[in-house]
Amino acid sequence: MTTLNMTCDAFDAALPDYLEGTLDASAQASVERHLNECVRCASLLRDIENIRKEAAALPNLAPSRDLWQGIEARIAAPVIPLAARPERQRRFAPTWIGIAAAALVVSTAGITYMLTARSIRSGQPASVARATLPGAALPSNTTPDSGAPQSAAAPAEGSSANTERGGTTSRPAQSDGPVRSGNSSASLVNRVVADQASSDVVYGKEIDMLQKIVSQRKTQLDSATIAIIEKNLQIIDAAIEQSRAALARDPASQLLGQQLTHALDKKVELLRTAAMLPAST
Amino acid sequence: MAAVSNVVRVAVGDSADVALAAGGDRQAFERLYRTHANRVFSLCTRMSGSRARGEELTQDVFVRTWEKLPQFRGESAFSTWLYRLAVNVVLNSRKSEGKHASRTDQNDVDDERWDEAARAPLHIERMDLTEAISKLPAGARKVFVLHDVEGYKHEEIAEMMGITSGGSKAQLHRARLLLREALER
Repeated sequence: MTTLNMTCDAFDAALPDYLEGTLDASAQASVERHLNECVRCASLLRDIENIRKEAAALPNLAPSRDLWQGIEARIAAPVIPLAARPERQRRFAPTWIGIAAAALVVSTAGITYMLTARSIRSGQPASVARATLPGAALPSNTTPDSGAPQSAAAPAEGSSANTERGGTTSRPAQSDGPVRSGNSSASLVNRVVADQASSDVVYGKEIDMLQKIVSQRKTQLDSATIAIIEKNLQIIDAAIEQSRAALARDPASQLLGQQLTHALDKKVELLRTAAMLPAST
Repeated sequence: MAAVSNVVRVAVGDSADVALAAGGDRQAFERLYRTHANRVFSLCTRMSGSRARGEELTQDVFVRTWEKLPQFRGESAFSTWLYRLAVNVVLNSRKSEGKHASRTDQNDVDDERWDEAARAPLHIERMDLTEAISKLPAGARKVFVLHDVEGYKHEEIAEMMGITSGGSKAQLHRARLLLREALER
């Protein structure tokens, strides 16, 4: 239909701008003249305006269940702070995690073999100047269970800021500082063993909690993702077992303690990543 | 007057809870969740076209909010910041799941679906607007929800979705025409 030089096609083309109010005065007048004379286009405009009004007045929807428990479980998951990393490394990359885990096993096994062989050859335990425990990686201004307020500065992407949230977070035991070497090597060994045991308890609690969360979320995650997570956990668990076995033979070894801590950190990191993964469709 | 005081009370309550939650107070964060959950769920559901997906995305939004809260500077209302974050979570969700290589690919898919929809009208007897929105092609649905339901401007939508302002206008018009057809008006 053509009315006063405007066709319905021309009206259709002008309609988005007419609705936005961005037509110039002349074009707007043409559209309005056409609307006065064309039932089809007047009906189209009326319907679209009704849709706009209905859309703007749509009521809020409510979820079919309380979603808070799932949210709380996920925000409560991260508890052990890890070293800051760039954002791109935080993203879940199964291939790289797999390679990293495999490299961890190889390096742990190799170092364990060399240290054990050297220790057996010398007939003496490796000397230790300092007991290094996971707590040593904590920031100096944080204290376990302090619930201290956050810094005013926003955490950088990829930092472990979220891991320090909440007043109920628990952290690995901290070393009391350098341990003097010398007269009492038996005392030193006992001390290191006790500290390592304490650290293991803390890690064990965190790992148990994270494993429960991951287990609960299995139905929300893609089966291929779950398979990759489980495979990598097996690799890391093997590294942990090898480190524990080597430490049992050489309890005072600083390097072996670090290797065990590193493997436990990797396990916590992987579980934490899995706990925070968005649900699959 | 009562409505005004309610608004003031909500705003004051929000800012106190935002400060507490930013410091790690989970109870305060739960209060924020209770206040805004339905609005965020509505946005996620309408943009994704699925209630089940909307529930998953709502959880993702609040986890992300918890992580980002210390960076909230109060330069806008908390609700404005939260809903914008929710939009970004929804828009980025497909990319993070690796379902589509890029937004360009997604737009191509949307265009194909639009062409199909244009040729074959949505033959559904009578449906309400919410249901009709969920049947729209993804690109048109997101633009319609952001513009006509949530009140964002084309320039804002273009920035969030990585498209042009003209593209946003075109998608909106297509969405409205499809909805008119679906609603048999």
